[in-house]
Amino acid sequence: MTASLIMDPKPTVLHPSDTVRTATHYIMHHRYRNLPVVDDNGCYLGVFGVHCLMRLMLPQAVVMKEGLTTIPFIRETLSDLHRRLIEVENGPISQCINEVVTVVEPNTPLLETLLVLYKTRTSVPVVEKASGRLVGMISYWDVTRKILAAEV
Amino acid sequence: MVTEGTEAVRLLLGMDPAWFAGVLFVMTYVVIMTDRLNRAIVSLMAAGLMIAAGLLNQEAALHGIDFNTIGLLTGMMIIVTITKKSGIFQYLAIWSAKKVDARPWGILVMLAVVTAVLSALLPNVTTVLMIAPVTLLITDALKVNPYPYLFAQLFAANIGGTATLIGDPPNIMIGTAANLTFNDFLVNLAPLMVVVFAATMLPIYLIWGRTLTSTPEQRQRVLDYREADAITDRRLLWQSLSVLAVVITGFALADVLHVEVATVAMFGASLLLLLDNLPRSPSEQNKVVEQTFAEIEWQTIFFFIGLFILVYGLGTTGLMEDVAHDLLELTGGNAKVTAISLLWASAVASAFVDNIPYVATMIPLIKNMAPSLGGPQALVPIWWSLSLGACLGGNGTLVGSSSNLIIASFAERTGRPIRFLPFLLMAFPLMLLSLLISTVYVYLRYL
Repeated sequence: MTASLIMDPKPTVLHPSDTVRTATHYIMHHRYRNLPVVDDNGCYLGVFGVHCLMRLMLPQAVVMKEGLTTIPFIRETLSDLHRRLIEVENGPISQCINEVVTVVEPNTPLLETLLVLYKTRTSVPVVEKASGRLVGMISYWDVTRKILAAEV
Repeated sequence: MVTEGTEAVRLLLGMDPAWFAGVLFVMTYVVIMTDRLNRAIVSLMAAGLMIAAGLLNQEAALHGIDFNTIGLLTGMMIIVTITKKSGIFQYLAIWSAKKVDARPWGILVMLAVVTAVLSALLPNVTTVLMIAPVTLLITDALKVNPYPYLFAQLFAANIGGTATLIGDPPNIMIGTAANLTFNDFLVNLAPLMVVVFAATMLPIYLIWGRTLTSTPEQRQRVLDYREADAITDRRLLWQSLSVLAVVITGFALADVLHVEVATVAMFGASLLLLLDNLPRSPSEQNKVVEQTFAEIEWQTIFFFIGLFILVYGLGTTGLMEDVAHDLLELTGGNAKVTAISLLWASAVASAFVDNIPYVATMIPLIKNMAPSLGGPQALVPIWWSLSLGACLGGNGTLVGSSSNLIIASFAERTGRPIRFLPFLLMAFPLMLLSLLISTVYVYLRYL
């Protein structure tokens, strides 16, 4: 058994030009942790998820490489954070796509796929190596549901 | 001088030892300058070849390593690694910003002053790594261009580093080689650096000062920062400040106490390690000490070790004496001309190549000039010229010092990169201004 047999072959996808507001709507409405981002040819580019939203609400000096590791001296309110999100919500999601995500191939064995899910702690994109196209997504729920439905 | 291996070189390679060492030395520099290979690997490989070829034996190679420089650097790195966990750097940056009522130009000056003072007492790279992120946080809140702030800090780091024995690695090497103490640097270079700093800030003000504006609301956001909350560990803060005070006092009294600065730094480092780990369980101590040691810049340390062996090996061939003689012929054996020429040549060289290998090479060359110039005392202005040129030269280009590259990487991350050529066009004239001031100072005070 391989990844292609347990994946969702028609996942919700985002495009780089989609706005942060659109992505936020999908994420909050469906409680997605990560959504795959693809180009016009269906090639996989990365993911955009709740982590990206958090990143957009934090000061740049904190989320950048070698940035501040703690900021207990700043006291902001929920309104401040909302204001920060409003400032960027009409911008494209391309400003914050997470490209460093482990992916699996359609023919990745089941146990290896499970290990990737366990290590990444989020849904895993299934990407064809040769074409770079996204062919599906695998969530904890997909795998667990199929395991429980399997005959013993 | 240990030259047991000289005969072996002739037998092994059929080459004159001076030729072998000279070619190896030049090749090492060329490879370091290309940036294609890690500089620590290059210098260690060159040192290894010196030994493998028989020019030095292992004992002689170890003899060539300046452990005073190595010990001082390592000790200060340990102290800074522990100290920074307390949040003191963020505290200082925020405190200084609030002291000027969060006015954009005032903040620029204050952060530059903080950077200069910290760079004088701590490694420059660590200082900018700590101050630059807070700077970007503040400029983000004020909605002002971070470029002038980073530009000023870049200059401040190199100027501050020039002011003391421990501020910049070239000074550590010069101090050790020339028996110049912490107080010597403080008395001779620190006042000059105050003038150079002020002179540098003036053009920065004229270029950017009046364009830096922000609204009262934006300034209020900075004023709302609670600097006291930046201190994450008060106990560690006091321990660190106490140890730093002991170490700085130790540096100042090193001559009277007849101890080397490396001893003072390593003692301070071990004392702070002890204080930091005393309340922890043995297993926790292992973890914390391992983390602390992991943050030491081992690449720099091993780069130094390899370089010291390489330059020492070169010195044993007598090549340095010949080059020193040739250089003195160029300056007519005149101490004034030699000192001023060295200041400017060192600055231009250090603007484009790493000042550490440059100074490592110049030290034995200058030592060899002593007999012709009238003894070690006659070298004093030349040592100051080397220090001023090598340290201030770092401001000339973006690749002039490690701290420049760190600041450039932060600028890149904000989406406002510091480009090599535009930076050169602004920074090089400012560096020349600092050299002009230094030249007048050296001439009037020592020549």
